[in-house]
Amino acid sequence: MNSDPGEFEALRKLMALKRHELPPPGYFNRLPDQIAARLQRGEGKPRFWENFLAQFTFRPAFAYGFALAAFGALTMSAIYSVGMQPRQSAQTTPHNRWRAGAQDEALAWQSNPSEPLHVASWMGNANSSNPAPSLPSLFGPGAHNPAVLVPVSFASPP
Amino acid sequence: MTARPAAREPLEETAGNGEMDDLTLVRHAKKEDISAYDVLVRRYQERIYATVYHMTSNHEDANDLTQETFIKAFRALKSFKGDSSFYTWIYRIAVNKTINFLKQRKNRVQMSLNDVDFNAENDPDLVALSSERTPRRDLNLSELQEKLNGAMKKLSEHHRMVVTLHDVQGLSHEEIGKIMDCNVGTVRSRLFYARQQLQAHLSDYLK
Repeated sequence: MNSDPGEFEALRKLMALKRHELPPPGYFNRLPDQIAARLQRGEGKPRFWENFLAQFTFRPAFAYGFALAAFGALTMSAIYSVGMQPRQSAQTTPHNRWRAGAQDEALAWQSNPSEPLHVASWMGNANSSNPAPSLPSLFGPGAHNPAVLVPVSFASPP
Repeated sequence: MTARPAAREPLEETAGNGEMDDLTLVRHAKKEDISAYDVLVRRYQERIYATVYHMTSNHEDANDLTQETFIKAFRALKSFKGDSSFYTWIYRIAVNKTINFLKQRKNRVQMSLNDVDFNAENDPDLVALSSERTPRRDLNLSELQEKLNGAMKKLSEHHRMVVTLHDVQGLSHEEIGKIMDCNVGTVRSRLFYARQQLQAHLSDYLK
């Protein structure tokens, strides 16, 4: 960078020739009128949101206040939504009724495993007019039905 | 031309030569006085246009950007505190607008060059260049113009801006530093690097 100052003299003279490039004649007489006309038409006026953003540029206190309020609102909404979550999950809708019924059924069976687990009842189609058929329990009393017990013989047939 | 606003405060304060000084005109323009602003436009339009034109090498783009610069400056006058001169302030708007424009276009700007004025042929520098026995001897003016603009377009926006402001417009390093919001050392190093690149691109004309 610390080169001879005359090193670029020829280049500087060459670049200075660009000063001779001029716009069409009369251009600088028309330009101020075109600008004035556009200003009178209201062009370039800042929009609402631009004015709003300008407040942040020139008033840092306002910007910090707004950021603090936004953060507070966000925190409050997060706390509120966390508090609401268990209550919302307890509510049953037509879409999750079968799941809620199944959970109840499973809990009841856990407390009394002797009761048979009725699949149809938690599938949502069991009611008083269309009772679900009672299926024989595989694990409850009477599960060992001798009629269904077939002795197995590994001897080859004669 | 649309009608100018009729009623406005009398413009009495002058810079001593019968012309209003910039700050007085700015004070009037801040009150939406378009005729006061018109004086400022007429005062600086050539320099602003030239800066944008030498950056874009396109008259239509330079025209649009010059108009937008003056319109934006008028709307932003309320934020002008007078810490710098109006001249520096509006230059800064033009420079930022132009650099953003070129970055958006990624330099895909077609050249639309202005005519070279008749006085160019009598320019002592051009006469000196033409009289030397170099490859550029038989070069005509429009060809030289295209070569210069082509070489300028190969520079980055910031390097091109420094060359435009210093070598074409004749601004000092200090003024360029204020306009481009950087220190004088940065201006000097950018200018040096840009000139090195230009020298390589225009070597045929500099032997």
